[in-house]
Amino acid sequence: MILRRLARYSGGRPWVAELITLVVLLLCPVVLPLFGVTADIASRILIWGLFGLGFDILFGYTGLLSFGQAAFFGTGGFASAFLLTQTSLQNHVFLSLIIGMIAAMVAGVVVGFFTLRRSGIYFAMITLAFAEMFHFLELSPLSQWTGGENGLTGVPMPIVGIDSLHIQISSGWSLYGYIAAFFFVGYVVAHRIVLSPFGQVLTALRDNSPRALATGHSVRKYKLAAFVIAAGYGGIAGGLLGVLQSYMPPDAVAFHTSGQLVMQSIIGGAGTLFGPLVGAALWLGLQNYLQDVPVIASAWMLILGIVFVVLITAFRQGILGALKQLFEKAAPKAPVHETELSAEITRRHHVTGVPDEHPNQDEIPDNYLRTNAPAGGLIIVPKGESADGAALSCRNLTKHYGGIYANEGIDMSIPEGQLRGIIGPNGAGKSTFFKMLAGEVAPTEGQVFLHGADVTGLGVTAVSQLGMSKSYQINELFSKLTVSQNLAIPVLARLRGEFRPDMLKSLHKVPGLHGQIEATLELVNLTQRADVPVTELAYGEKRRLEIGLALANAPNVLLLDEPLAGMSPRERADTVQLLKQIRAGRTLVVVEHDMDAMFELAEYISVLQEGRLLAEGTPEEIKNDQRVQDAYLGGMEEV
Amino acid sequence: MTDDNDQKKQKGGMHRRDFLKLGAGVAGGLVFSGGLGRLAQAADYAPIGNYPAGIKGSSVFMGIAVPRTGPYSAQGEDEIKGYLLAIDHINKGTSLARAYSPHSKKGVLGKMIEYGIADNQTKPNVAVQAISKFISDNKAMMVTGSVSSAVAIAAGKLCDRERTIYLPAITGSNATTGKDCQRYSFRACHFAYTSAKALAPVIKNALGAGKKVAYLTPDYTYGHSVYNSMKQFTEAQGWTTVNNQLPPLGTSDFSTYLLNIANSGADVLVNICFGRDAVISTKQAKQFGLLDKMTLVMPYMAPFFADEVGADLLQGVYGTTEFWWTLAEKNPMAKEFVEDFEKRNGRKPGWSAHIAFLQTMLWARGVESAGTFHPPTVVAEYEKGNTIATDIGDVHWRAEDHQLVRPVFVIRGKKPSDMRNKEDFYDIVEGVPGKDVMPPIEQFGCKLGPAA
Amino acid sequence: MSMPSLPLFLSQLFNGLATGLLLSLISAGLTIIYGTLGVLNLAHGALFMVGAYAGFMALQWTGSFVIAIFGGMVGALVVGLIMERVIVRYYYQRPPEDQILVTFGIGIVITELVRLGFGGIAKPVPVPSWGQGITRIGSLIYPTYRIEMMAIVAVALVGLYVLLYRTRIGMIVRAGIEDSLMVNMLGINVYRVFLLVFGVGAMTAGFAGILNAPILAVTPDMGESFLVMSFVVIVIGGVGSFPGAIVGGIIAGEIISLTSMFSSAYSHVMLFAIMAVLLAVRPQGLFGIEGRE
Repeated sequence: MILRRLARYSGGRPWVAELITLVVLLLCPVVLPLFGVTADIASRILIWGLFGLGFDILFGYTGLLSFGQAAFFGTGGFASAFLLTQTSLQNHVFLSLIIGMIAAMVAGVVVGFFTLRRSGIYFAMITLAFAEMFHFLELSPLSQWTGGENGLTGVPMPIVGIDSLHIQISSGWSLYGYIAAFFFVGYVVAHRIVLSPFGQVLTALRDNSPRALATGHSVRKYKLAAFVIAAGYGGIAGGLLGVLQSYMPPDAVAFHTSGQLVMQSIIGGAGTLFGPLVGAALWLGLQNYLQDVPVIASAWMLILGIVFVVLITAFRQGILGALKQLFEKAAPKAPVHETELSAEITRRHHVTGVPDEHPNQDEIPDNYLRTNAPAGGLIIVPKGESADGAALSCRNLTKHYGGIYANEGIDMSIPEGQLRGIIGPNGAGKSTFFKMLAGEVAPTEGQVFLHGADVTGLGVTAVSQLGMSKSYQINELFSKLTVSQNLAIPVLARLRGEFRPDMLKSLHKVPGLHGQIEATLELVNLTQRADVPVTELAYGEKRRLEIGLALANAPNVLLLDEPLAGMSPRERADTVQLLKQIRAGRTLVVVEHDMDAMFELAEYISVLQEGRLLAEGTPEEIKNDQRVQDAYLGGMEEV
Repeated sequence: MTDDNDQKKQKGGMHRRDFLKLGAGVAGGLVFSGGLGRLAQAADYAPIGNYPAGIKGSSVFMGIAVPRTGPYSAQGEDEIKGYLLAIDHINKGTSLARAYSPHSKKGVLGKMIEYGIADNQTKPNVAVQAISKFISDNKAMMVTGSVSSAVAIAAGKLCDRERTIYLPAITGSNATTGKDCQRYSFRACHFAYTSAKALAPVIKNALGAGKKVAYLTPDYTYGHSVYNSMKQFTEAQGWTTVNNQLPPLGTSDFSTYLLNIANSGADVLVNICFGRDAVISTKQAKQFGLLDKMTLVMPYMAPFFADEVGADLLQGVYGTTEFWWTLAEKNPMAKEFVEDFEKRNGRKPGWSAHIAFLQTMLWARGVESAGTFHPPTVVAEYEKGNTIATDIGDVHWRAEDHQLVRPVFVIRGKKPSDMRNKEDFYDIVEGVPGKDVMPPIEQFGCKLGPAA
Repeated sequence: MSMPSLPLFLSQLFNGLATGLLLSLISAGLTIIYGTLGVLNLAHGALFMVGAYAGFMALQWTGSFVIAIFGGMVGALVVGLIMERVIVRYYYQRPPEDQILVTFGIGIVITELVRLGFGGIAKPVPVPSWGQGITRIGSLIYPTYRIEMMAIVAVALVGLYVLLYRTRIGMIVRAGIEDSLMVNMLGINVYRVFLLVFGVGAMTAGFAGILNAPILAVTPDMGESFLVMSFVVIVIGGVGSFPGAIVGGIIAGEIISLTSMFSSAYSHVMLFAIMAVLLAVRPQGLFGIEGRE
């Protein structure tokens, strides 16, 4: 009961969790000895926990599984140990640790450059290979500085204090305190990162990377930033290990260190920040305990391996994740995934977040469509001026794959403010054409101009930042987030550009964020569903969200790929209304199969056939155009 | 008393009252030390390391950290068997135990040895973790075990910091009693320098003058150590070094290195690889026909090398070892050790078991002779360097670098047809006395730290 | 450092080919499993090791190395099939990270079980009688067994090629590599195909394991280094590509051999360095398809 209230209270208040963490850390030296846990073990667990904070940001939040974190653990550890034992920096433990961390981050930039060019399994393998290379470098060519397979001994204990007040830290609980201080700061920073706009983008990356890219975020830069952050945490953890043991071991860079980190994080629960800490506690605890039991002593690794496999299979979200789920199931009527953003909206704007009163979409009365709501409230990116007044145009746009021409020589010009329809029979090349316009596919020949500027081949991110968005035929939503969290993503790209490392900022403090989200919610009529996870939406609602995502990007040119796909007649009518509403101040290009809707909506229609532009004209002209009829019907008279 | 007198007191003069107290304490201590030896010891010295906390009860704790998983698990398990044998003899106060430590009755200074075994996985970091636990949780008075120098050095440094005696088992690098020597560590086994110095004249006698030598040196400190020592002694006797290949530790395919050696024109192949690397490289050397045109020399043979490689490849191979079971034929203490080991374990001991056994016996003796567990006193007892009779002959500790001065056994592989039983792999060609092979003290730069 | 002599160069070139072919075989198994099932089998090294141990046992029982080879294949196949049926097949719908993690865990479990069962001392598998001795090719001296092994591996690779490219089942597998969903929709039981592919991949690893056993020491950890090497090979050759595994393997073998002539310490680092360069310049590998993950 208390826990539930606490969770709800802390929804918008990160400092609650941080305070609790601080209290727990302070209590450990008092409580843990009662259970026979030594300061040494507690310190080790904290070091792995610190290492894991960065890894969790990389893997739990951004979804990048790296098997090579040992490279940074070792780089930071050996850099600081070297400074402390071989140079005149003996008495500057803190400074050396920081330098070690920076060294690890630099290594992170270099390794990230190579490894992030691929993703998924490829990425995992390549990080493994790089870590092995670092291991080899540590053992052999650099052994003068790293001590080779002997490691570096004699790392001194820190002295803490200012001016004349000095405390010499010694092994035991005072060293625990030193390490706990680092952990606490590390946790606060990680917590803030995760709650920041930067952190939200990372979560979106993991969920649906292509959509995040299309919304205007530079996925590559975010990934690299996450990678460097993880490297930094690894570096400082490695340095602390050297201090803890007065010894920097060579196997800090070995593969099994990376493997242990991964296993601990999964066991504890990825995406929870505390998961790696819990996993480390379990691992070290089991390792210690099992070795004392005579019969199974040499089988402890086997037992840990079996535990790991079972956990992945049955409790993928790990211990903490399972606890969280259990906890959430037990809480009645509490909104699922009470995240910071929605809780904040709930708190500030008194929206109750209670599920929709009208679960059956067909029953929604007409007045739910706010026909008199302004299409503004939502910002629109100011556009450049083009010589011929065309918002979007293309010249000789051609795409062929080998010998097959998807599109050939298309010239089209769409003036500002027009609602252009694009139709054509199946196989006419509409989707490829649309993809070229949107920047998803680079044309083989020809150019695309947005407000007169040549945007050919710039890619979806750049195009999005310039003010053109696309809504997809098949929903490309962020399926693990709620509706408002989904809308936050394009808004963040609009307000912050393609990349901004605003990691310590609070999400709520992004000016204009809430306003934009609410305006979009109103426009697509999802205000009542703001806190509902996407997985619980009805299909029609998902389509509206899909359009909403494109709108939230504040485009001045909006491409819509079959916005009415899969909708019921009632939903179609509503969506057509919506499209009419959002025309103000924008240029719309719509690809559709529904002829009635198209003829009602479009001012001007282009018809494609077999990859080429067949005809253009007003709906009337097109309806009566013989060529068009032939194209659709293969020459038969009937329409 | 006036204030002046009081002030004089505070500055350090001894007041009569204090003197009486001290006298009473000494007298009381003498009274107790006669009958109840343990309590007296506790009162004699200031606490240091795990003293006296570790000996409050009727037992004393010995921490054993060896590899039980990983590439050296076979040697690690053998060490465990050696330790357990020693502990059993000491605790029971057998004649073998008394042969090493004449004043002992049961246990060490009357305390039974309790032990804990941890898997160090041949990883220095894991070893350090396990040993930390032995010291802080179990209040170990002695920690032991190793199969690699990296582990031995790391463990030695930790134990030195914690003022606990550390006795490595297998460690072949010169640095262990060289630049990485520790006040609280004592090495009993042979190592790179002593092996090379013992081996070189023997192979010169056997093979002749002016030979060309190629080396297969694993690329880490231990490997370089042995290479440097062997180079030093072979070149001093007129042999030439024609090639040195440096495979990384853990290589599985030595073909590229062996091909380079095959093309070097060498007569002698010195294989410095240890453990599994030695097995693989030797098998592959045979396959490349190298062993048909070169003599194989293994300056520092790992235990069980013979079992893993097979008698076929071993014939005529020269090497050094710490102990070989045929010593039982000449030395009654060795005989008792080998027979008891074989009875318990069904096979003969490797030198990993023997060195574990020896270190434990020497420690029991050292503590008994010191009359106390007090770490600096035990260290001082070792450093006295008294001659001790053991199953490998007379030995003594060298105070300056904590290396045991002891014989190195040069062995040669037998022809399979000459083997009397399936473990009879070697002939002992010569047991070279320790004093003939020890390095000059300055050579490896040992500087022991303080004891307290 | 002096320039290496021609005979040395030729023997290292030849040796690189031998090493490379073996790497190709191991990597081929890994790459077809990945290409078809989308599962990166981190237990592949353990299967290699299981093949060596199974072959060792077969050798103990029968004394025939040829039977040992089949024993190794069958042993690895059985373990691989059990792995697939009991655990891996529940993972096809799960994200790729989960698949890596579970095969990683299974690899550890297999290795530890073998260590508990057989102990840590290396098991001796001697070179078979028909492979003893050395062969001279001109000025080149090379162990006979290795030459025979090259031939056997080449035959196995050809066999795999025939299986993949000339049989109906192979065509289905290759179609599965392209688009397993489509294959399923065409009415072919994709899961049975997956089982077959996993089995073939495991068998390949086991075959390589027992073939290699006379050259190496048979220990529970013997597969680990090969696992990392085969990653590098398939990154170089292109993930999921069978020709990529072959070419990548040979290139990797040559890089190691030829570099060792100049500096034996750097031979493996050179391989990683070249992998890094390739990643920068052509991330999909030599034969990989762009955009394939």
